[in-house]
Amino acid sequence: MPKIQNKFRIISNKKVCQRFHRLCLDAKAIAKNVRPGQFIHIRVSDGITPLFRRPFSVFRARKGIEILYETVGRGTEILASRKSGEYLDVLGPLGNSFSMPPKGTRRVVMIGGGVGVAPMLALSDALAKKGYELVLLYGARTKGHIFKMDEFKKNGCKVFIATNDGSVGVKGYVSKLFSKIETNPQSTVVYTCGPHPMLAAVKQFVLENNLRCEVSCEEVMACGLGACLGCSIKTTDGYRTTCHDGPVFDINKIIF
Amino acid sequence: MNLSIQIGNLKLKNPVTVASGTFGHAEEYYDSEEVKKLGAIVPKTVTLHAREGNPPPRIIETASGMINAIGIENPGADVFIKEKLPFLRKIGVPVIVSILGHTDEEFTALIRKFNATHGVSALELNLSCPNLKNKTLVAQDPEATFRIMKMAKTVSNVPVIAKLSPNVTDITSIALAAESAGADAVSLVNTFVAMAIDIKTRTSILGNITGGLSGPAIKPIALSMVYQTAKKIRIPIIAMGGIATTKDALEFLIAGASVVAVGTFNFVNPRAPLEILNGIKEYMREHKVKNIKEIIGSIGHKHETR
Repeated sequence: MPKIQNKFRIISNKKVCQRFHRLCLDAKAIAKNVRPGQFIHIRVSDGITPLFRRPFSVFRARKGIEILYETVGRGTEILASRKSGEYLDVLGPLGNSFSMPPKGTRRVVMIGGGVGVAPMLALSDALAKKGYELVLLYGARTKGHIFKMDEFKKNGCKVFIATNDGSVGVKGYVSKLFSKIETNPQSTVVYTCGPHPMLAAVKQFVLENNLRCEVSCEEVMACGLGACLGCSIKTTDGYRTTCHDGPVFDINKIIF
Repeated sequence: MNLSIQIGNLKLKNPVTVASGTFGHAEEYYDSEEVKKLGAIVPKTVTLHAREGNPPPRIIETASGMINAIGIENPGADVFIKEKLPFLRKIGVPVIVSILGHTDEEFTALIRKFNATHGVSALELNLSCPNLKNKTLVAQDPEATFRIMKMAKTVSNVPVIAKLSPNVTDITSIALAAESAGADAVSLVNTFVAMAIDIKTRTSILGNITGGLSGPAIKPIALSMVYQTAKKIRIPIIAMGGIATTKDALEFLIAGASVVAVGTFNFVNPRAPLEILNGIKEYMREHKVKNIKEIIGSIGHKHETR
């Protein structure tokens, strides 16, 4: 798998809702090779503050590479200020990817919490028109985190939304939507990404119902290449790097 | 243009390398054709037995730097020799293996294991990892530094380098102890003991409570330590501490370092070591320097030239 480090031109970098931005990079070389669940590692500015690159799941890989990001700190604030036409130093594609649903799967359930919904669009792009019933459960804090779900819908996803304050969809955590999941372990698989408390709830649900589930994990990363061992998380196989052994793991292997 | 540097009987084709722990076991770095151009490669520290490392979180980003407390996660010497070393050897650049023993006996056992393998050009004794809950580091004690280096030099078939800690009152006294025990070079500096606190939970962020600060934030301190040490010892200095640019590397060379190692900045720009190597060559061309040794330790003092 070729990893590329290069400067890529920003095609667009726009707000899609109060909290999220969508960045599109003219990075065909990466788009060609990326698989759903992989990430790119972006240097948001030259210089040494902030020092680290920032990892982002690939939201969509078509002509270019797109990411969906929430402005949560200095790194993403700087990223949000970058204009189309400017160039960003990008390393990628990095990490492993979601495995495709096993034989016999009829229903694919994607559960995204907040900006953790990002890799689910790339996944649904790969699974669209393959005969699966696709379901997206999206949990967000408020309507500020709700963006247009048209692209998911175009891929054939049934979309269900929960917000903590009930401003859009069902009021409460995304676990309120678990009733939408058909629990036949032979025909249903689950993919998830989001904050730890949500992942813990998903883990409990899939354990109880004996469902296969893969999770995309997020940690603070330095190298993104499996060299520094800084982003390691505890798994049933010992410490594993999120950037290189992951970001995708069998949810049963993660010790939250 | 002569860029070569001698460390004991080991000749490096140029003075640019990487700091241990920042380059994995090199296989993670994506282009071994590029890695080939470095003066040497230094993989992550190896211990006698496997170590699983410290509990996460293991890293924090700080102002122009980072704090890490990885805890020398590594597969142990036997697995390293069997699974990692063949790849490193194949790259064709001198491999300097960083080793850490928890006792004198472990250091001896490690050195014997590496004596029995091919393809190791030098050993760097990690006497200065701050993340292993030791009360005192070897490199905080001149006598212990002398004792272990003396033993290592007696046993080792290849040049031995002492990696020193900046968490000391006077790093030059430790460097002198290493030199008088026969060290072929000293590496400085390892990381500075540091921490960060989560004000919401009022707990330390790192799983290990404290860690080691590295990156551009420490460069001026490391530079001063290299300068002080270079005035006192005759063996080569391998300098590390926040090197990110050609200018940083040149400052260390001018201060008296013979070799410069890129550490934390590998995480930001994996090509930094090669960009720095090219930058040094450009500087030499521009300043009509034929031999890198003309730069090393060339620092003058403004009042002398006035």
